[in-house]
Amino acid sequence: MKMHRREFLNYGILGLGGLITLSILTPAATYFLSPIWKKGEEDWIFLGEADKIPLDSPTKVEFVQRRKDGWMTVEEKRSTWVVTKDGKEFSVFDPTCTHLGCPYNWSVSKKEFICPCHNGVFSMEGKVLAGPPPRPLDRYPNRVENGKLWILPVIKKG
Amino acid sequence: MHPLKWVQDRFGWNNIKEALLDRKIPNPKPWSWFYTLGSATLAVLLVQVATGMLLAMNYSPSPDHAYDSILYIMNQVPLGWFIRGLHDWGASAMIVLMLLHLLRIFVMGSYKAPREMTWIIGIFLLLVVFGLGFTGYLLPWDQKAYWATAVGVNIAEQAPFLGPLIAKVLKGGGELGALTLSRFYSFHVLVLPALLALLMALHLYLVVYHGISAPPHPKGKEPPDYQKLKGEGKSFYPHSVFKDIVAVAIVLGIVSFLAIYFGSHLGDPADPNDSSYNPRPEWYFLFLFQMLKLFPGSLETVAAIILPTVGVIVLLLLPFFGSPAERHPTARPFSMGIGLVAVTLFIWFTYEGWRSPLLNPRIARNPMILEGKILYTNLKCAYCHSMKGEGGNIGPDLAATIPIRSDKWIENHFRKPQSVIPGSKMPELNLLDEEIYALIAYLRDIGGGGVSVVKAEKLFQENCQTCHKVDGKGGDMGPDLSHIGAFRETSWIKAYTENPQALNPDSVMPEFKSSLTPEDLETLARWLSSKK
Repeated sequence: MKMHRREFLNYGILGLGGLITLSILTPAATYFLSPIWKKGEEDWIFLGEADKIPLDSPTKVEFVQRRKDGWMTVEEKRSTWVVTKDGKEFSVFDPTCTHLGCPYNWSVSKKEFICPCHNGVFSMEGKVLAGPPPRPLDRYPNRVENGKLWILPVIKKG
Repeated sequence: MHPLKWVQDRFGWNNIKEALLDRKIPNPKPWSWFYTLGSATLAVLLVQVATGMLLAMNYSPSPDHAYDSILYIMNQVPLGWFIRGLHDWGASAMIVLMLLHLLRIFVMGSYKAPREMTWIIGIFLLLVVFGLGFTGYLLPWDQKAYWATAVGVNIAEQAPFLGPLIAKVLKGGGELGALTLSRFYSFHVLVLPALLALLMALHLYLVVYHGISAPPHPKGKEPPDYQKLKGEGKSFYPHSVFKDIVAVAIVLGIVSFLAIYFGSHLGDPADPNDSSYNPRPEWYFLFLFQMLKLFPGSLETVAAIILPTVGVIVLLLLPFFGSPAERHPTARPFSMGIGLVAVTLFIWFTYEGWRSPLLNPRIARNPMILEGKILYTNLKCAYCHSMKGEGGNIGPDLAATIPIRSDKWIENHFRKPQSVIPGSKMPELNLLDEEIYALIAYLRDIGGGGVSVVKAEKLFQENCQTCHKVDGKGGDMGPDLSHIGAFRETSWIKAYTENPQALNPDSVMPEFKSSLTPEDLETLARWLSSKK
């Protein structure tokens, strides 16, 4: 009988203790791990008048992005390379090299994007022509509406 | 050798088990459930530590961001509201449990020799926990936080001789501000918890070293031999542990229920210029708050500093009064009398403080309006636009144009001004959706909302003009309302018109809730709030 009671108490302690731990740990873990399933919400950003982008000549366009950063709203100056062949279809490239993130430039004479860090070379379409970059230039989704160019500031891997 | 056995061996588990788990506890009957209060306090403390760590991950101890970061926890972080609720209600639970624990020890005379140090350290633990409460509720940086802290610091300032210096050290400077907040934050999450951990360890060590006190022996009988009682008792594990864990489950269940059902309050953001706010402390400081009212100004120091200090000193010295052999309450009528008076006063003062009239009308405000106001300033809208004569004249006067436009129109205008007004000089601001809605809410509030001025003026003439004046027309019985909008917002005016005595008990104004429709009241309030 004495052993019986001891056993019951043991199970009671384990059961209740486990229940208490779980009921605190579950919400705590939800809170702590929440960044995993947090969705980034981005709005379309107005980049500029579509007809201001010259044909066949990559143009660097700077813009200001307002976005939520936790409890703050921050403004960031960012830039893109915008390319169009016909003034209707646009490619908007992220301005950093896909190799190690250096800023690249458009060489007017060679008609290539050249990254000075490790001699990465991209074509006007963003394809890798030479050097170490592992993939084509990263892009931003874009759309043209009433002659205005909008982009979604979420990188699509090239 | 079995790996588990090896680890146990290396840590001397058998000795630990013998000293902690197998140690005999004198039979606590019939008071065994009262012996669980200490363990329950410890459990709530652990919850406070865990929830506190989580809250600190999303909290920013600066006046610019503190309030917003709490809003972020409440609205954006999954279960953030619950974690904050647990921390908030857990703090109250800590205080309640500690006071009950103290009461149990006091009534049973358990603080007497040889457990004097356990008691003294317990009193310091109580002070540290009050300190944690005091530093903790500044952190949200809302009105209550700011003003209750201002009062607390001013109380410290009244201490004789060192008062002003103490206040300066507490504030981290001359004014309550950024330095105070970061200082209180450090106190709340580093200094006091470290102190608490140290005192806690000592307290628990002493509890194990001296053993739990046996229930008091009846008056007039010889005190029984403690070692003999201990030898006859049952082991700490599982007998005491089981009751402890049942008590902990009940307490945490109640705290969770309170956190879910009532949540955790966040007031309006701290506004140091708001002279209408009537601060009230957290409930566990209400007795002090109420006591201050009983003393005339010249004796303020007595209530604010001297009496609390004397109270703490009496508590600390308590183990050295009376005979250590007399533990039963009936054998200590004097102590019990004093204790009863103290408990009664504490409860009575807390109750009186709690039901003393709250001068702050709790009017549900739209947080969007405030958000919009901040944006209006940050975006420098007033550079081009004017509202009631203040601001630039490049854009139109907003008070005139906003009432005639729909929300949809204003939203489209914010997104692409030229799409609704071709050739508009208004820049595209790339605002986030929620920023646009906040600005609309603010503009609606300022512009008085869509309101028929003709109808409002007619309502005013029929109901108010006998007593109140607006723009030079009307009676003198009540105050001139020509500039009421500069002092009160729409929701306040509406609430006041509905039932003046609820906000100002001395008012002789009749209530209009029964004679006017809610729409009419809203129209009137909006129109009046545009009188600036």
